[in-house]
Amino acid sequence: MRYRMRVFIMMLAAVAAFSGAASAQEPGRTPEKPVVASVPAPDGWKTCPRCQNETDRREANARYKVEGHAFNPRDLSGVWYGDVAAGRFFVNPPAYTPLGKERFEATIGEKNAAGEYLHTKDTSGIGSGAQVNCDPRGWPRLATSNYGFEFIMLPDRVVQFFEQTHTWRTIWTDGRKLPENPPELRWMGWNVGRWDGNTFVVESTGFDDRSWISATQPDGGFPHSDQMRITERWRRVNYGAVEVQITITDPEIYTQPWALPSLQAALNPGAEIWEYFCVPSDFNTFNNDVYLPVATGEKK
Amino acid sequence: MRPSRLSAVAFAVITVALLLGVVASAHHSRAGYDSAPGKLVTNNGVVSSVIWRNPHVFVIWDVKDGSGSLVKWTGELSSPTTMISEGMARDTFKAGDAITATFMPAKAGTPHGLLIKVVRPDGKVVLDLSERRNLLEQ
Repeated sequence: MRYRMRVFIMMLAAVAAFSGAASAQEPGRTPEKPVVASVPAPDGWKTCPRCQNETDRREANARYKVEGHAFNPRDLSGVWYGDVAAGRFFVNPPAYTPLGKERFEATIGEKNAAGEYLHTKDTSGIGSGAQVNCDPRGWPRLATSNYGFEFIMLPDRVVQFFEQTHTWRTIWTDGRKLPENPPELRWMGWNVGRWDGNTFVVESTGFDDRSWISATQPDGGFPHSDQMRITERWRRVNYGAVEVQITITDPEIYTQPWALPSLQAALNPGAEIWEYFCVPSDFNTFNNDVYLPVATGEKK
Repeated sequence: MRPSRLSAVAFAVITVALLLGVVASAHHSRAGYDSAPGKLVTNNGVVSSVIWRNPHVFVIWDVKDGSGSLVKWTGELSSPTTMISEGMARDTFKAGDAITATFMPAKAGTPHGLLIKVVRPDGKVVLDLSERRNLLEQ
């Protein structure tokens, strides 16, 4: 028993060290003790998920009595905030098919003479230096948006409303089936959902193949075809947390299904969704006045 | 403790550790700024405009160079809502405000920087991201 305890303590120490090392490389977005208070929302309004620092979130959780709060496992409604790096979520992709390899290589952008990436082909607005900005990110790329989303439960559908890019997807729950041959391809796909016990299972198809599953480092992105199918399993772990596991199947691009690790989002009772449109003119101004002069030394 | 329980505990501990280490994804590369220690630049100027828009807020201020000419400097921050979490509001800076700005300079030598600290003439620190530069990656 003593030996096992020692093993356990050593494991804790190792994990703490690992966690510290990870933080040192890529520290979390907010420190334990913010130096300044965030800007409060106007009276009678709530702040946005992204506008809160860790102190705000802690205070809101206490104010709304999140810990130990009773909950209905079949009710996902609320504002949720996940702060998960895409690079830690879209991991361990299966091997590409020959077409997949070709499609991936086509996502790599231009480099300068020093071999540094300059003009990305990421047209979503995330990648500065793109010639086109604000194409929809689509699903599942929005899964790692760290600006929060809201689930709205309606009798015949669930709406997932994202602050970043101010967009939504509709998950139909009225029993309809996914179409075999969708009449249009969608950035957010065609989505249907059903309850399997207390797990909300979402299945999707009919995706526009111009979106990326996620960006890859240092450039490019994981491609998908219009044959991509996605299965998500959402589960409310407790009142304050929801978990999702996503599996992507696209035999044209990947040799096997791609099961992503589970991701958790936290309830943000003190927040409401604000407006973050991806505005092409704003993104182009940023590109021309800030990003490109810094990256290339030239102003467009 | 049975091995299966030990594994379950190990799994839980590792999961928590991974969640603690998790960070947000950066929108835009900051490779163009010189983040080397000791390379921070500080100058004094007068704010001419603040672009409070997505994807990133930026502040423009005028600085007199050695020959007395005005140079427009551009300081990049993070998204408006991220800056709100850091206590900066849409009207924190106004045209005509005198500031002392400290920033990571653009490697390309253009008058651009990633803003780290801004102080008013009376010594009031308006913004100090020295300990939280990771915020600027978002």
